[in-house]
Amino acid sequence: MQKNNSSSPQTDKSLLARRRFLRNLGLLGATAVSSFTLLEVKAREQKANTTGAVTAEKRWGLLIDTSKCSSGCDACVRGCNEEHGIENEGNDATRAQWIRKIDLKDKLTGSESSVPVMCQHCDSAPCVDVCPTGASFKRADGIVLVNKHTCIGCRYCMMACPYKARSFIHETLTNQKPAAPRGKGTVESCTLCVHRVDRSEDLQPACAVACTDEAHSAILFGDLNDPQSKLATKMKEIGASQVRADLQLNTGVRYHGL
Amino acid sequence: MLRSLATVTHRTIVSVLCAVMLITTAGFWFAGAVAQPVIVPAFKGEQCVADTNLMRSDHMKLLDHQRDDTVIDGVRGAPYSLIGCVDCHAQRSDSGAAIRVDAEGQFCQSCHAYAAVKIDCFSCHAAVPEQARQIGLLPDNPMPHAEINRVMSLLKSTDYHAKEQQFFTTN
Amino acid sequence: MSIDNTSYQPLGQTTSGYLWLLLVLLLMSIAGGYCAYNMEHQGHHITGMTNQVVWGLPHVFAVSLILTASGALNGATLASVFGLQIYKPYARLSVALAITLLVGGLLVLVLDLGRPDRLAIAMTTYNFRSIFSWNIFLYTGFIFLGVVYLSTMLDRKINRYTSRVGALVFLWRIVLTTGTGCIFGFLVGRSALDAAIMAPLFIALSVVMGTAILALVMMLVARWQRGILPAAVVNALATLLFWCLLTLLYFSVVHHLSNLYVAEHQADERFVLGGPFAVLFWFGHIVLGVVVPLLLLQRLRGLSQPAANKNTGLLLAASGAALLGGMVMVYVIVIGSQTVPQTLFPGKIVTASSFGDAGFAAYTPSLWEWGVGMGGVCFSLLLFAMVLKLLPLCSEAASAAVE
Ligand code: HEC
Ligand code: HEC
Ligand code: HEC
Repeated sequence: MQKNNSSSPQTDKSLLARRRFLRNLGLLGATAVSSFTLLEVKAREQKANTTGAVTAEKRWGLLIDTSKCSSGCDACVRGCNEEHGIENEGNDATRAQWIRKIDLKDKLTGSESSVPVMCQHCDSAPCVDVCPTGASFKRADGIVLVNKHTCIGCRYCMMACPYKARSFIHETLTNQKPAAPRGKGTVESCTLCVHRVDRSEDLQPACAVACTDEAHSAILFGDLNDPQSKLATKMKEIGASQVRADLQLNTGVRYHGL
Repeated sequence: MLRSLATVTHRTIVSVLCAVMLITTAGFWFAGAVAQPVIVPAFKGEQCVADTNLMRSDHMKLLDHQRDDTVIDGVRGAPYSLIGCVDCHAQRSDSGAAIRVDAEGQFCQSCHAYAAVKIDCFSCHAAVPEQARQIGLLPDNPMPHAEINRVMSLLKSTDYHAKEQQFFTTN
Repeated sequence: MSIDNTSYQPLGQTTSGYLWLLLVLLLMSIAGGYCAYNMEHQGHHITGMTNQVVWGLPHVFAVSLILTASGALNGATLASVFGLQIYKPYARLSVALAITLLVGGLLVLVLDLGRPDRLAIAMTTYNFRSIFSWNIFLYTGFIFLGVVYLSTMLDRKINRYTSRVGALVFLWRIVLTTGTGCIFGFLVGRSALDAAIMAPLFIALSVVMGTAILALVMMLVARWQRGILPAAVVNALATLLFWCLLTLLYFSVVHHLSNLYVAEHQADERFVLGGPFAVLFWFGHIVLGVVVPLLLLQRLRGLSQPAANKNTGLLLAASGAALLGGMVMVYVIVIGSQTVPQTLFPGKIVTASSFGDAGFAAYTPSLWEWGVGMGGVCFSLLLFAMVLKLLPLCSEAASAAVE
């Protein structure tokens, strides 16, 4: 995989992040923040050496092979819902949908496809930029999360997300799963199953497991930074693109056959 | 005429204001004395994840620290996990069903009621251990005590995630 | 009419009209508080908001109040920064109104949060990349500066700083309105909102709405003083509002024309100008909010002085229409833009989705949302009415005797 290719999924903070950054802020703020961030990154690196915190060495991502995804199947959605205790039923517009299936038809060729859409775990994520409290954040390993302990439920991130990937909890929840705390008044989205992959990479996110169980194996989880990883080799082999690549967000979720 | 109307309205407004203040502070005025907390013994384990005295005084700091470590840095399996607290401290009713740790009189509640502390953690975090639900400790499918004990001994270690895995794969 | 020999008092006689208004405002504020409590307690499912239309009517009210607040400062700015003596007797009213409106707007904003109980977090942890964060500073700073500004007017010892503080507040409010516009200006995910012109548009809207509410309040206060607005003031306000409206119209036209020009925005633009929001856009914003007040004001400006004196009714109607039209415009911008489907896959048609990717989203505000929004407006006015009684804000020169 080429390092300097602009579509490279590897964490490329230098160019895109800086461009967005300047646009949003203006020079003054930018200088203040960047020195601040530098300090923080250093502190984090030190910490990682001693406690097993995640680092930027890896960048987790998904490769979705749409040629293997079938239109009637929602195994990944159900797998995700099961894992996180999300209701399958209810008002589609207000219930949580960490993954949704979208069926597509090409305007020109008329060819049909079906894709699961979830948080794309952008490298320069608009939701992270806009969050007033910093609750919306990108983990060192590229996973974009909501820290629900500091989320105030302003929903600005939902305004900013180009993928409509986030859900606001509109009702009081009960019977949550220990592994997936969720509650009214905060925003949430796909976590790439951090609670699983932090324990072991082999535990794969629930959607990928469900898809494999359904014998489709359309979702592959892995390290985008490691050219030797299964995901990276596969991606090189079959090719993949980003949803809304024009926004240059350098997403962590890539699609083959869009 | 106008003037008297004005004074009448004056009074109305003042009384409405007073009423509003009284209503909004009712909880403060009419709160009864809180009973001394009864600390429910832990359901599992011989000792806590840290020195008991330290736990009494500083559990919130430990929890706060742990939560940032886990959520932001992805540190897993560390000792002060909220899942762990629930796992050991949630009681079981006679029928074997797990009782929420934050229910009236339960471990995380009685102390806090006494200290007038309110926590919102369990509006998101599960207040009963999941194993209880999965392995049929819920009322609709009670489990014999011997089985509960076997499971509990399996789960005793702090690395209970691995044990959990082991338990479910061997069953 | 120099400041030194104008005397100011708290609102004098307590008319029964004033007291009734106070009571109604109080009850409405309490009702608003109840609605907010319910929204909090039940969760946002009792509102019309969804995961697609994430900001609803409370946001429309909050944004309108914030814009109006910064615009309401016009009176004071014109008097102390630009030296227009005619506005001097109203400068204090203007600042007090600006502060109270902003407080109401912020209150609505906070009460609409998913977790308003975490306000302390919002006030202590900042993400400096977020325009929202900057706005928190801008808003609290505005309130602080506003209080200082008012103090320099109230206290003769520091009178001489008025114009300097006034200039600072003026700059601050321009930045504040720009900041509010920017919240909506840089959202790459919502094509209808990805436009830098939002900032000047919001400034224009703010001066229109602020001038309109100031005019209404000035008329009301004159009435409570058992007088009417002097004819010269009515005419000055009419001219001011007239030009503000033209500016707004200009930016609005530029905004929509430039959207039509940019290919990727064309679909959204056709939607705003011809979709379900078209009625609101054309009749609410353009006709009610701009054309009608312009015509009314034009009529008023054409009248000779004595007639104008009797025709404060025209100003009243024009201001009311401009205010309502302004809110409709905020509604179209904030809500309309969210109901447009977000295009994830250009070149493809969405044939099925569990989350409405294919068509326009629906949004109907619930009663609770109206309650919270109206409650905020009423709370602002309640505060203002009380401040009017407590501080010497009204001058004899502010009203003329009824003939
Ligand atoms: C709005 C929902 C919400 C609330 C309220 C909440 N949390 Fe969490 N908490 C989460 C989420 C989501 C995670 C991340 C879980 C994960 O990644 O595995 C989490 C993780 C944690 C963790 C690390 C995981 C673990 O269990 O060890 C701790 C510790 C924690 N929270 C403590 C608290 C405490 C203490 C409170 C109350 C003061 C609290 N939380 C309130 C949502 C919440
Ligand atoms: C391994 C099981 C286990 C886990 C996990 C555990 N505890 Fe404990 N905890 C105990 C036991 C057993 C005691 C009683 C110790 C004693 O009596 O000395 C106890 C005592 C306590 C006490 C003191 C109660 C008193 O007597 O005043 C507090 C407070 C406490 N735990 C809080 C927590 C919190 C908070 C957590 C989660 C971070 C937690 N515990 C996790 C088993 C556990
Ligand atoms: C021995 C009594 C006791 C027990 C048992 C207890 N707590 Fe506490 N807890 C306290 C006291 C006292 C405070 C308040 C300390 C303070 O404000 O300084 C507190 C505060 C907290 C806070 C911080 C609240 C805030 O608003 O800052 C959290 C979180 C918390 N407890 C979690 C728990 C959990 C979870 C459990 C059950 C596993 C638990 N506590 C059991 C006594 C107890």
